[in-house]
Amino acid sequence: MNSSLILEIAVTILALALLLADLWTPRNLKRYLGYAAAAGTGLILLGSFAWNPDPGSSAFDTMYVLDPLALYFKRFFLFAGVAVLLIGVEFSDRFVTGVTEFSVLVLFALCGMLFAASANDFILVFVSLELITVTFYVLNSFQRTRLVSLEAGVKYLILGALSTAFTVYGIALIFGTTGHTNFQQIAALTGNMTNKPVFILGLLMVLAGLGFKIAAFPFQMWAPDVYQGSPTPATAFLAVGSKAAGIVLLLRVLFIAVPAVAVDWTKLLMVMSGITILYGNLCALPQRNLKRLLGYSSIAQAGYLLLGVTAMSAAGNSSVLFYLTGYLFTVLAAFMVIAIVTRGVDGEDVSALAGLHQRSPLLATALTLSMVSLAGIPPLAGFFGKFLLLKSVLERGAIQPACYWLVGVALVGIVISFYYYLGVVRAIFWSENSGSNERISISWPSRAVLLVCIGGMLYLGLMPNRVVNASVQAVQVLKPTSMPRAVVRF
Amino acid sequence: MFGNPETLAWLILFLPLLSAVGITLFTQRQPKVSALISIGAVALSFVLSCALFASLPLDKGLHEIAFQWLSVGNLEVSIGARLDGLSLMMLLVVTGVGGIIHVYSYGYMHDDASFSRFFASMSLFTFSMLGIVLANNFLQMFVFWELVGVSSYLLIGFWYERASAADACKKAFITNRLGDFGFLLGIIMVWAAAGSLNFAQLEQRFASSPEVMGAMATVAGLLVFCGAMGKSAQFPLHVWLPDAMEGPTPVSALIHAATMVAAGVYMLCRVFFMLNAPALEIISWIGGFTALLAALIAVQQDDIKRILAYSTLSQLGYMIMAVGLGGPTAAMYHLSTHAFFKALLFLGAGSIIHALHHEQDIWKMGGLKEKMPVTFWTFILGTLALAGVPPLSGFFSKDEILAAAYHHNLFLFALAVIVAVLTTFYMFRLVFVALLGKARSQAVAHAHESPGVMKFPLLILAVPTVLAGFWSIDGLFNRQFGAETSAHASNWISQIFAPFNHAPAAALAGIGAVIFGFSLALTCYQNAESDPLPKKLGFLARAMRNRFYFDELYAGLIRITQEFLASIADFLDRWIVAGLLVRGTHGTTDIAGRALRLVQTGNLQTYAFLFAAGVALVLLIVLGK
Repeated sequence: MNSSLILEIAVTILALALLLADLWTPRNLKRYLGYAAAAGTGLILLGSFAWNPDPGSSAFDTMYVLDPLALYFKRFFLFAGVAVLLIGVEFSDRFVTGVTEFSVLVLFALCGMLFAASANDFILVFVSLELITVTFYVLNSFQRTRLVSLEAGVKYLILGALSTAFTVYGIALIFGTTGHTNFQQIAALTGNMTNKPVFILGLLMVLAGLGFKIAAFPFQMWAPDVYQGSPTPATAFLAVGSKAAGIVLLLRVLFIAVPAVAVDWTKLLMVMSGITILYGNLCALPQRNLKRLLGYSSIAQAGYLLLGVTAMSAAGNSSVLFYLTGYLFTVLAAFMVIAIVTRGVDGEDVSALAGLHQRSPLLATALTLSMVSLAGIPPLAGFFGKFLLLKSVLERGAIQPACYWLVGVALVGIVISFYYYLGVVRAIFWSENSGSNERISISWPSRAVLLVCIGGMLYLGLMPNRVVNASVQAVQVLKPTSMPRAVVRF
Repeated sequence: MFGNPETLAWLILFLPLLSAVGITLFTQRQPKVSALISIGAVALSFVLSCALFASLPLDKGLHEIAFQWLSVGNLEVSIGARLDGLSLMMLLVVTGVGGIIHVYSYGYMHDDASFSRFFASMSLFTFSMLGIVLANNFLQMFVFWELVGVSSYLLIGFWYERASAADACKKAFITNRLGDFGFLLGIIMVWAAAGSLNFAQLEQRFASSPEVMGAMATVAGLLVFCGAMGKSAQFPLHVWLPDAMEGPTPVSALIHAATMVAAGVYMLCRVFFMLNAPALEIISWIGGFTALLAALIAVQQDDIKRILAYSTLSQLGYMIMAVGLGGPTAAMYHLSTHAFFKALLFLGAGSIIHALHHEQDIWKMGGLKEKMPVTFWTFILGTLALAGVPPLSGFFSKDEILAAAYHHNLFLFALAVIVAVLTTFYMFRLVFVALLGKARSQAVAHAHESPGVMKFPLLILAVPTVLAGFWSIDGLFNRQFGAETSAHASNWISQIFAPFNHAPAAALAGIGAVIFGFSLALTCYQNAESDPLPKKLGFLARAMRNRFYFDELYAGLIRITQEFLASIADFLDRWIVAGLLVRGTHGTTDIAGRALRLVQTGNLQTYAFLFAAGVALVLLIVLGK
C-alpha cells in the first residue's frame, strides 16, 4: 500500500465506520456520531501536521502527487471538514432523517477534495470533481421536506451535469489531440499544441467546468439559488471546500499542464475576474437573505481569487493560497453563526440578526469580524489577503498595463461590497429587535470553532508572515512562465 | 526564562493589555476582581521593571529587541523595545507611580457604578504609555502615541453623563490630534529623507552625516515637536489640560501629571539627536513662555485641581525649555521628580475633594490640618518639593534646569527665576487658603481623614518626593546623553551642597525665589478672608483669572473660520458631493444591482442556456478571432 494516500484512506475508513456505527446507535444519540466524525477528522488534521511525507511521492503511476501544494490544500480541506461537520451537528435537528448519513456524505466529499488537491492527471481531475459534485447533489437536497432545498439540489444536479459534460468532452478533446492525460506529458507537448484549435477548445471546456466549481462569470448562475436553498452546512462546504477544490485544480491545470497556454489566457482571465467581481458585488447590494447574500459574495470572492491567477507569478499564486486560507476562517465563522441564529426561524432574512449582540456577544463578534474581513478592512485576514492579491497584479502591470485597470475594477468592487457587508453589521447592532430577546446557547464544540475562526482571522491579519511563507513554499511546484510570448493571442 | 531581558520587556508591556482585555471581556460585573486584576498587572509590571533595571548593565551600550511584524517587499515594520537608561527609568516611573495611583483609585472610586470600566481604561492607558516608553522606532511610537490619546479620551470622559466632561474629552482629543498631525508629517519627512524609522539607525545616520535632512532639518524637528506640544500641552496647544481635570482625580494624577503629559518631553529626549540649533532655540522659547504663562494663570485660579493643572503646565514648560537649552538630562531629571511630587499633590487634592464630597473651590475649604493630618503633611511635602526647597527632590532637578538656563541664555534664566517665584507663591496661596486658617464651609466640619487605601499611597509617594534627589537619577541620564559625568558626591551632605559648587548663582537664585515667593504668599493670604489680588492688580488679575482669554480667543477664531469654511463645505457637500457624486453613484450602482438581479430568474432552463452561452462566449473570444 502506498503511504501517500494515507489521509484519503483514513477519511474513507472514518466514513465507513460511521455508517456501521449508525446501525447500532439509538436515535437520540445520533447527534454524537456527528461529534465523533468531527473529532476523527480533527485527529486526521492534527496527524497531517505530524506527518512529513517525501515531497516527491506519488501514487497511481504519478496520477496522484503529494507535493507541498497538495499538502497545504489537504490541511485546508480537513479543517473545513471539521468545521462543516460541527455546523452539521448544530443543524441536525432540522433534518428529517439521516443525521449520520449527512456527516458521512460530507466525509466522502472531503475525500474527493483531498484527491483533487493531488490531481496530476485529467482522469483524476474528473474523478475527484465527480466525487465532490455527486455527493453535493445529495447534500444540497438533504432537507427533503423543504421545497427550496429540493429545488437547490435539482438545479445543482442539472447545471452540474451540464458542466461535467463540458469538462469530460474537453478532456476527451485534449486526449484526442495529445494522446496523454498526464499533466507533465501534456506540458512537454504544449509548445507545439498552442496553435491547435481543437486542443485549445478542449482546454476551454475544462476551464468552463472549473469556472462552474468556483462560480466565476459566466458560469456563476447557479450559485445564489443553490446557496440559498441548500442546508447551511452544505452551503458552507460548497462555499469553502468546493470552491477551493476548483481553485487548486485550476492552478494545477494552468501552471503544470499548460503553462504556455496560461500566459496566452491572461487577458481572458482578467476579463473573467473583473466581471465576476463586479457582478457578485452589484447583485449582492439589494439582498436581504443572508445565504443568498453570501452566495453573491462568494461569486465576488471567486473574482478576487482569479486576480491572483491573472498575475501569472509565484507571488500571485501564493496570495491566492493566503486569501483562501483567510476566506476559510471567515466564511466558516459566518455560516456557523447563520446555522445557530436561524434555529427555529424560517428563512435566513437579515432581520433575524437584530439584537444579536445582546442575545449572544460571541456570535455577534464572530459575524461582525467575518463581514469586516470579507470587506477587507484591516487588521483582519481579508485585508491582508486582498492587499497581497492586488500587489501581485500591480507587479504585473509593468508588462501588461491592463492590470492597472483590473486593479481599479477590483477596488470599485471592494468599495461597493462595503455597503452590504456593513449592512449585516448594522443589522446586528443597530436594528430594531422585534424577535425574541432570549440568550442563545452555543454548544462548546461550536464555540471552539468560532473562537478558532476569530483567532485565525486576527492571526492572518496581524501576523501574516508564517502563512505567507507556507503558501510561498507550497506554490513552488507551480512554475508560471511569466515572460510574455512573442505571439500573444486574443 | 524570566531571566532574559526580552521576555521581561514583553511581559512588562503586555501585562496591562492582558488586564484591559480580560476585564472588558470577562469581569465587567465583578468590580473587585477587575480592580485586583488591574492593580496586579501594573504592580507585576513594576516588579519586572525593577528586575530588568537591575539585570541590565546599562553602561554597556543599548539593548534593543525587536521582532518583525510584517515585511512586504522593502517595507519592513517591526515592533521592538529599546532598553536604555532613558526608557528603563521611565518604565520605573510609569509602573511605580502608576501602580500607587491604581491602588489609590481603589479607594477613591469605590462607590462608582462603572468601577470595572475605570480599571479597564486605566490598564489600557498603562499599556499604551509603556508602548511609547519602549518604542524603538517612530512608527511604533506614533501608534502608541495615538493609543495614549484614545485612552486618555476614555478616562477624561469617564463621567460621560456630565456635559463638561464630555466636552473636555473631546477638546483634549482634538487638540492632541492637531499636534499629532504635525508629528506624523515630521515622521514622514524623516522617513523620506533618512530612509529609516528606527531610532538607533537614525541616530547613526545623523551622527555620520549631520546634513542628512538638508534644509528641512529645522522644519522636520519642529514638526516632530508639534507632537510634544500637543501631548505635553505647550503653548498654543495648552488649552486642553486644565479642562481635562473633569476626569476623576486619580486620572488627573496618573495621566495629566505623572505620565502622559510627560510623553512629549520623553519623546523629545528620545529624538534629541535630530534637533538642530534653530529648532532647539524655538523649543526653549516656547517652553519658557508656557512656563510663565501657566504660572501667572495659576495665581488666580480657585479650583484646587485647576491650580495643580496650571502648575503642571508650567513645570512641563520648564522641562521643554530644558530640552531646548540642550539639557535632556535636566529635563528628564525634573520629569522624574515631578512625577513623584505632582502625583502626590494630585492624590492629596483628591483626598481633600473626597473628604469634602466633591468640593473643589479652595475658598470653601480651610482648617484641614487637624482633620486630615496625613493628607496635610504629605501635601506640604509635595508643595515644598514643587517650590524647590532643599534638600527635597524638586530642588535638585529644578536647579539643574536653572543652571542650564544660566549657562545658555540669561534672559530665559531670568524668566525661569520669575516662574520659580510664582510657583512658590501660588502653591503657598493654595496651602494658606485651603489647608490652614479656619474652616470656610459646612462641608469642612464633617470632613475626616481618607481610608487607608488612599492614605498609604500618599505616604509611599512622600518618600521619593523627599529623597529622590539623592538617588543620582541625573547620573543615569548623563551617561545616556554622553554629558560630562559630574563627579558624584560621596555622601549625602556634600550632595546637598553640590549645586552650590556647580553653579552657585543658579542655586542661590532658586532659593531666593522660594523665600521671596513664600513671603509674598504669607503677606497676602495668611488668614485672608478673600483674595486681595484682584483689587491690587486690577485688569491683570482679571486676565489671569480668565486664563488670558485664550479659550475665548480660540473659540472666536474657530467660530469665524468655521462658519466660513462650513458654509463652503455645506455647499460642496449638499450639491456636489451628496447630490451629484453620492446620489449619482449610489443611484447608478443600485440600479445596476437591481437590473442584474433580473437575470437571476430562478428558471433552470434560463440558467442552462446562459451557461452554454457563457461557454460559447469564451470560445468566441479565444478562438473566434
